[in-house]
Order: sequence, then structure tokens, then C-alpha cells
Amino acid sequence: MDHSHPEDSEEVFVQLFAVNERHLRAFVRSLGLGWNEVDDIVQTVSLVMWRKWHEFDPNSDFMRWARVIARFEVLKFRRKMARDRHVFREDLMELLAEAAEERDEGESSKLYRQALAHCLEHLPRNSRDLIGAAYQDDRTIRDLAEEVGQSATALYKALDRIRKKLHTCIEKRLRQDRREVLS
Amino acid sequence: MKEDAKDLRDLILAHLDERLNDGDFGILQKRLEGDEEARRAYVELARLDASLREDGQGELPVAEVVTFPSSDARPRQRNRMLAAAAVIGLSVIATWAAFHGSAERASREELAQKEVGAPITRGVAVIAAEAGAAWDSDLEERRLGEGVTVPPGRLVLSKGLVQIDFFGGASISLSGPAEIELIGPDEAVLHRGRLRADVPPAARGFEIRAGEVMIEDLGTSFGLSVGEDENGDVVVFDGEIRAIGTDGKPISLFGGDSAQLRQGEAVPQPLAMAGEFPDIEEVFAGSGSRNDRQYQAWKEASEDLRRDPRLIAYYDFENLAPTSRRLRNRAMVEDASELDGGIVGARVAEGRWMGKTALDFRSEGDRVRFDIPGEWDAITLFAWVRIDALDRHLNSLFLTDYFDENEIHWQLSDTGHMHFACSPMGAVDIPEHNRRFFSEDFWNPSMSGQWMLLAVTAEKGIGKVAHYVNGRPLPISDGTQRHKPLETMRIGEADLGNWSDPIWDHSIRTLNGRIDEFAIFGAALSPEEIAKIYEVGRP
Repeated sequence: MDHSHPEDSEEVFVQLFAVNERHLRAFVRSLGLGWNEVDDIVQTVSLVMWRKWHEFDPNSDFMRWARVIARFEVLKFRRKMARDRHVFREDLMELLAEAAEERDEGESSKLYRQALAHCLEHLPRNSRDLIGAAYQDDRTIRDLAEEVGQSATALYKALDRIRKKLHTCIEKRLRQDRREVLS
Repeated sequence: MKEDAKDLRDLILAHLDERLNDGDFGILQKRLEGDEEARRAYVELARLDASLREDGQGELPVAEVVTFPSSDARPRQRNRMLAAAAVIGLSVIATWAAFHGSAERASREELAQKEVGAPITRGVAVIAAEAGAAWDSDLEERRLGEGVTVPPGRLVLSKGLVQIDFFGGASISLSGPAEIELIGPDEAVLHRGRLRADVPPAARGFEIRAGEVMIEDLGTSFGLSVGEDENGDVVVFDGEIRAIGTDGKPISLFGGDSAQLRQGEAVPQPLAMAGEFPDIEEVFAGSGSRNDRQYQAWKEASEDLRRDPRLIAYYDFENLAPTSRRLRNRAMVEDASELDGGIVGARVAEGRWMGKTALDFRSEGDRVRFDIPGEWDAITLFAWVRIDALDRHLNSLFLTDYFDENEIHWQLSDTGHMHFACSPMGAVDIPEHNRRFFSEDFWNPSMSGQWMLLAVTAEKGIGKVAHYVNGRPLPISDGTQRHKPLETMRIGEADLGNWSDPIWDHSIRTLNGRIDEFAIFGAALSPEEIAKIYEVGRP
């Protein structure tokens, strides 16, 4: 749908994109890509969206539009890339995109963040600290393992256990929240 | 390794970490292709991974001791393993700290504090009364005034009298021009000016420094003055104080004694040499006349406001009695009483000034009921509110009963943000349609009990919502569907300070605090107009 945008249009775009960027990165990540690929694709998506900004209908949902473009760009990327051994087949990526869309429509990223914060808070201190050490900087688990003199396998095992616990907690919390979408 | 791979979630996490072997990758891909549940688990864990990496960071605490129990530790072994882990943990901290600049850490702490809405600094004293007080201009920003909690720091009073009550129990009357530095709940430095201190027995040990001399109060009242040269005088009215100069030797002074403070030394002098000192009674007397003046000025402004043709309804909360059950609409329009509010539960209490009435909202039933028909392309709501606590997840200011199509909601979150919401679909399919506009956070528990002017303006169209606190615009920080337009807005049946008909089970949104003025306009007031309402109404 073509229509004229007000002169602050660029600002609106930048603002909307900034607000939705993390959400968009999580979406692309959900299709099974590593972080380097996620970075490249999200950058391309932002350029494509800006080029097509005049086509955006302000009555529609920005994030939904972003997902449509991201999905297209991911598949384009998939076809171009060499058959990397651990990137999923195209049809599976499509299915994962559907699942991620369904998930995103289900609840707001804000509710999700609240649930995550709640569940992190309820983790035992040791677990929270390990998550912090593993996620809060660019070091790999291997580096971290070396520093603490444990095997990477042991660290991954501990991390897996904590992340599964968080996953279960968040699911439970969101089920509660779904009954109480705020207004 | 194969054993572990049996759990789907372990496979997924390993794939996300890019540490899956070829065989397991094949297994995972097959399972995902054939099982919708498995795909759901994949996208959920991917989101968790992305959130921990990207937006979880502000919420993660700074590690003190990193320990991690090994997954195959049996209960019997656990203690030993934890102890070992605690030791190796120390090296993690050291390297971790080296990796994180202090600036980054500071911002994370700030974020963490924002998250819980905790005050950044703790108060040590409260301004109990003031008379003709004027604060140094750049401190005015901090909104010093009666009832305001003051954190440690320097206060510059250019004129007038104030009474400052320290949390430790001591109380001082300070006369301007003066400069005082609050150090703690029992400690201050008088850089210049005159004060009188009253220290009840419970606050014995209160210390105040003048130049190089430390004065320790042993339960008494005394006067202290300090000039530009940091020299001064002290007079004991009653009880005992100890003055300790740079030589470290204390001098005791009793009721009727006086000493001069020169070059870090306290030297006894005849009482007649010391000057006059402000008195707490004097501050309160001055405070009373200031109260009357301000209250009167507001009353006059309120009379003008009643005549504003843009008003839908205006409630001045004046002359309420414990038996009052009707909150009168004071807007000068025909049939104004049709929009009178019905007081339910809320009790009459003191408002911004002595003599002005307010309503106090506290328990689940407290509210004022309204039925306001009509629809408007623009709306302004303002209320003078004293928030005592934000103890519900959402705390009502003004909530329409059903949140039907285009009905508005105005409330506060427990994190100190103001919310305005309106949906053209009402409560139907809320995630998709509800336009919510959250202000930046402005409230924390150190502001409990202060009167504030809260306002919001909303206009039909995209993104035309503005929040105001104390006459100043407060930027929008977040929300939902803000890029979608607001339509013509409606009110209908609604509550002030509560929510009568929660669409969600178990939602209690009672306000914990007081309101003593509330207005609804069928237009968007300009920022200048809102600033003016604040100026004439600030207590």
C-alpha cells in the first residue's frame, strides 16, 4: 500500500527498528543460525526494510513485516551458502520460521523478558552466576573452562541443566501471564 | 556422549552452542522435521539463548562468587565439590572483573536498580517545614520542599528558614543564606550560615562539623553559626555538647555556655558575644503563613480553571466531610452535576495544604465512581496525587470499567512508569490491538508521600500521547502497538483510584495514596499549560 509518510518518517523507522531489533535477532536465531550469520542477516534485513519503508502500512504490525522480510532473506542466504554441515535444510527452516512466528504472536517480548527476569531471580545464586559468566562477555565456554580448571563438558552440562530449568520456569510463568494480558 | 543426546533439549542446546557432532546433528534435524513439539522447543530455547545473550544482560547480577556443582555429583560428594568449586570460583571473578570495565558494570547496576525501582541514593533527612525558603538555583532541579527526603549532599539555602529532621532523630532549623552538607542520618557539616539543633536523648551523638571543629551533641539544644571564613560561634541552650578541635582535646560546654571557633579551636567566650539563632517554632509559624498564601493562590487559579470551555469535568476535592458521598463536578457547564462522582470507601484526608481536603485510597473497595458519556478526538487527564506506595503490579489512576472499544486506561506500574492505553477493539485480541504508551520511570519509594502533578494528553492519530510529571514532559519508554493510530476516545463508567470490573481474574489495582484534584479535558493541553497548572498548584 503506497502512501505518503510525514517528514519524521526516518525517525519513526529508526525508532521502530531499534525497539524490535533484539526481537528480530531472536527470530533469526530461531531458524537455526549461528550468531555470525544472525548479525549479517539482521543487517541486510534492516537495509531492505528501509528501502521498502514507503510500502509499510502504518496500520499493520512492524514486527510482522520484519519477520516476512527476515524469512525471505534467511532462505536466500541458505540457498547461496555452501552446504555447511550444521545448517538445517531449507524446508526445516521454513517450519521453524512458522513455529517462531506462532510463538511471537502468542505473547509480547516484554512479557517474555519479565518472565525471564523473574525466573533468573529465582535461580540459586551459583546457577545465576554461571549463566552470567557464560553469557555476559565474548569468551567461549572453552576459555571459561580453562580459567576455572574444569572441563568444557562439565561446564556445558551444568549450563544445560540451568537453561532447561529456566525454560521450564518461563513456560510456566507465561502460561500464567496469558490469562492476564495487561491493559 | 550418546547417552546425553537422548534428551531433545540437550541436542537443541548443543546445536545452539555450535558444539553438536555430525551424528547428533542428523538425529536432531530428523526429529525437528517430524515433530511440531520439537520445533516449538527449538524456537523457545533459541529465544532463551538470544535473550540471555542480548537483553538478559541488564538483569543478570554481577557475580560475587562463581560456583557450579557438577551434574554427576552425588549428594554425599556435594559438599566437597562445592567447596572446591568455590575456590576455583575466585579465579573466575578475577578474570571476569578484568574483562569488564567499571563503566559497564556501573551501567548494569543502574539498570538493575531501574529494574527494581529502588532509589539510587538513600535519604538521610527530610525537610519538615520551610518558611520563605529559596534554594540555590541548580538545586531547585531536585525539587526541595516540605516532605522531600534528602540524600547525602550539599544544600544551599539562599534565604528563608527550613527545618530539617535527620533520620537519626536530631532536628535543625537553618536560616539562609546557609550551606550545609548532609553526611549521614546523624552527621552534617555547616559550611556557612546559622542553625539551631535539637537533639532528643534517642539521637545523642549527633555530630556537626564547623570548619575544623567537631561538635558532638550529648542530648541538648544548641546554636551554631559559621561565617565565610569558616570561623564561628556555638551556644548551648540546654544540656551538654563536646567540641573537639584540631588538637583532638574535647571541651565540654553546658547550658548557657558559649565558645568561639577559630582556626580549628574552640575557645570559651561570654554568652553575649554570640548572635541570634533560628527557632523551630519560628519555622513552623512562617510555614503556616506560606501554606495559607499558596492555598489561596491555588483557589483563585482553580476558579479560573472551572471556566475553561475545554473541560469535560473538573473535581477540586474541596470542602469534603467524612459524610460526603458525592465528589462534585465543578466545571462551569450545564448539568455539571450529571458528572458528579460517587465516593466509595475512600476517606477524607488532608490535601496539599493544611485545610485542603483530599481522598485517601487504600483498601480494595476505595474508589470514586463516574459515568462520563461522550467521545473525543483528544483528551487530557491531570491529577494531583500523593503516591504512598506502588504495591500492585498495576496501580489505578483512572480506569474505565470494561476497557471496551476506545475506552481509556490511565495507571502506574509497580516499576514507577505511567501507562496510558486505549484499544479500538477493546479487550478483544488485546496483544494485537492494544495501544499502550509507557512513560520513563519517574517514581521510587523514596518519593513516597510527596504530592505530584501527573498528567497525560492523547490525540487521535499515531503516536500522539504525552506524559507529564510535575509540569514536565516525560518521554515514552516503551509500550505496544504504538505505531497504530488512536481513534476517537471514550470513558463511560470508570473508577478513580481503582478498577471496578477487572477483565482479568484477580486483578486488584487499588491506588495506595491520595488525590486532591482531578480534571478531564476534551482537548490536548499544551506543555506550557500543564507547566502552569503545576506552578500554581505545587505545595
